[in-house]
Order: sequence, then structure tokens, then C-alpha cells
Amino acid sequence: MTSRTLLYNILRFFFLVFFQVLILNHVNLGGFINPYFYVYFILLLPFSTPRWMLLLAAFVLGWSIDIFTNTLGLNISACLLMAFARPFVMMAISSGPESLLGDTPSIRNQGVKWFLYYSVILIFIHHFSLFYLEIFRFEEFFFTLVRVLLSSAFTLLLVLLSEYLFYSRGNK
Amino acid sequence: MRNLFLFFRQHYFYFLFLLMETVSLVMFFNYNEFQKSALYSVSNSVSGAVNDLFSGISEYFGLRRTNRVLIEEMARLHSRIPEALYATDLKIYEKKDSVVRLEYKYISAKVISNSTNKRNNFLMLNKGSLHGIANHVGVIIGNKIVGQVVSVSPHFSWVMSMLNKDSHISGKFRKNNQLVNVEWNGGNYRKGQVREIPKHIRMVVGDTIITSGNSDIFPEGLLIGTISSFRIAPDENFNNGEILFATDFNSLGYVEVVIDMMRKEKDELRSSFTPGK
Repeated sequence: MTSRTLLYNILRFFFLVFFQVLILNHVNLGGFINPYFYVYFILLLPFSTPRWMLLLAAFVLGWSIDIFTNTLGLNISACLLMAFARPFVMMAISSGPESLLGDTPSIRNQGVKWFLYYSVILIFIHHFSLFYLEIFRFEEFFFTLVRVLLSSAFTLLLVLLSEYLFYSRGNK
Repeated sequence: MRNLFLFFRQHYFYFLFLLMETVSLVMFFNYNEFQKSALYSVSNSVSGAVNDLFSGISEYFGLRRTNRVLIEEMARLHSRIPEALYATDLKIYEKKDSVVRLEYKYISAKVISNSTNKRNNFLMLNKGSLHGIANHVGVIIGNKIVGQVVSVSPHFSWVMSMLNKDSHISGKFRKNNQLVNVEWNGGNYRKGQVREIPKHIRMVVGDTIITSGNSDIFPEGLLIGTISSFRIAPDENFNNGEILFATDFNSLGYVEVVIDMMRKEKDELRSSFTPGK
């Protein structure tokens, strides 16, 4: 990991945390859709990130969000689960060495299909554990599931949007 | 030992993840009250079911005592009924009166300020015109009177307590319906003055004074107090007495506002007739 990549990741960390707590946490589409776009940080960590670093980064990321939302531990555990799953998801969906081209996972390097699988699975894992931990009862199981699915879709939309906005410039 | 170390090293990712996830969940359940209580309630529902069973059994052993308490309570309540139906020869009146009484609306309110140590005492209630309270309606506590509303705002009402210079309550003797006036001269908040007691009434200490229902503010029959002493004035038209208020004005918590639903009709009837026309 070069120092430039490190700097980018740190900047991205702060930007995403503040974007989440200042704007997205106040978004409540239809009363129950909350996007958790900040997980984009975990999606975009470089391939070369050591696994312990993944977990540590997820921990710090979740903690930063929890401090602002006053739900200590909630986002941390969801982020940890997502970071833990990341290497396995990568292994499962990669067919050859060309899948891990470049520095960080992106549509430009891995293609739409790979990136879509990658982000859909990880976002779903994160949102699923987050919503069920937060609600913590099975009485509203299906309603919660609908919330999870819709919020995941919305987060994915934001992820894809920013992929095309910021990271596809290299194509031109 | 070396193998163990290697094993940990090989699989450190899983252990690290488990460790951190545990830490985060411990944090989560410790710092978030709802999840904490939800976790407790699972264990409580088990212990609660056991406790419920045992308290249900032990209730059987207490049935004898419970029966005794209930019988005593029943006897006490029965003994009150004849009192309530005191005037048997006025039974029709009583019935009619009870129909009229259905036209009274009761609104419960909390006393948020009160005084008993001034010459003119007022109370403030936490309900006002938004709740249907208007000027000149009565305030009671149980079957005892407190005062009347003299001013209302949307959320509060200002009540002139009976302990006030301007408060003149129309009362009557419960035993013979003779009308009297009840006032307060200041001083002791437990004692008031009964004025205009007709000469011919034979009264004794302990006679009960109730509201007459003449004023349209209070329904008939609410307790004002009991005669504690009286003075026969030979050279005046009326006797005066002292009354021990039934209401303890110093410990008012929740009171009821009585609203006469037929007040308007009564007022209209009164004003419809002008003598000499």
C-alpha cells in the first residue's frame, strides 16, 4: 500500500463518516429506508490490505458512526461482520487472477458483474445484521426484511452512482 | 506448543474476528437499554412463570383472610346506603334529582398551585378551556367542595378557593334542608362561618351542612362540613355558627371540575321573565 493510497483512504474515511452522520442519517425515505453508504469505505479498501487491518479499520469505522448515532456497538459489529466476510466473498466470486487487477476493487478494474456481486453480498450482510440487531425482535421479521432489502438497494444505488461519478474517469 | 502457536497464527483472522465481534456485542448490550432489557426479559419470563405459579398457589392459603377483608368492606359499603337515601319521603325528588345530576360533567384535574395561608386563596388547575372548563363552574374533591373557577386560559384554570373573602356558598342542613350561607373569615383554614341560620332551627354540634344546589355551581348534596360550635344571639334575626370544613384544603392533589350541562338553559329561563312586563 503506497502512502498515496493510505492518504486517499483516510480522506475517504472522514468524508464518508461525515456524509453518513450529517446527511444520510437524517434520510428516512418512506419512513423506513435508511441508507448506510459509509460501508463503501470497506468495499474500497485495497486488495493488499492485511486481514487484521481490515478488521481494525471496520472497528474504527463502526465506532465513529456509533459515537454519532449513540448506539455504541451496533455499527461496529455489523462492520466487523462485513469486513470478515470480505475475503471470502472475494474468493467465492473471483474466477481467475485477472479478477484482482489493480489496487482497489472497482467497476473499472473488475467489471460491472464482479463488482455488483461483491457489493450486493457485502452490503446485504452489513444491513441485515445491523437492522436485526437494532430491532432485536422477531415479531416484525418480514417488515424488517423489507427494510433491509430496500435500504440495501438504496445503498447499492449510491455506491454505483459514486463508482460512475468518481472512479470511471480513468477510462476516458 | 509450537503447533498450537502455528494453529493460532494460521487462523488468527477467525480468532481476531470472534474477539472483536464479541467485544462489540458486549458493548452493544451494555450501552443500549432496549437490547439489554430484551435480553433480560427472556430470562425474566422463565423466572416470572415460576414465580407466578407459586404466588397462585399461595393465594389459596390467604383466601380466608381475603374473605374476611371483603366481608368487612361490604358491610362498610352497605352501611352507607341508608345514609345516601336519607329522605325517604322525598323519594320522587331524589329520583328527579338524580336525572338532573346526569347532566353534570366531571373533569378531573391536578392542582398545580394552592395556598391556605392568605386571606384570599386561589388554586391553579392543569386543565383549561381546551378541556371544556368555563368560568363559574364548581371544583370538588370526592363529594366535598373546593371552590369555583373564576378565570380560564386554554390550558389552566384559576380557582377561587372556598377560603376566600368573595366566596359565599349556599348550603343547607342535611337533616331539614334549611338554607344557610357558608363563608370564611380568614385565619384557621379548617374552620369557616355559617351565617343566616334561621332562629327556629334546633341544631347540635356535628350537624352536617351540604350544598343546596341553588347556585347552579355545585350539584346538590355535596359535603361542606359539620357544625363545630354555634352561638344563639337573642337580639338578632339569625343565629351564627362555626363550621369544620370537610375538605382539607392543605392536601389537595387531584380534584374534579363539575360542569352543569343545563346551565345555559337555566340562565335563559331566568332571563326570559322580567317582572312587570
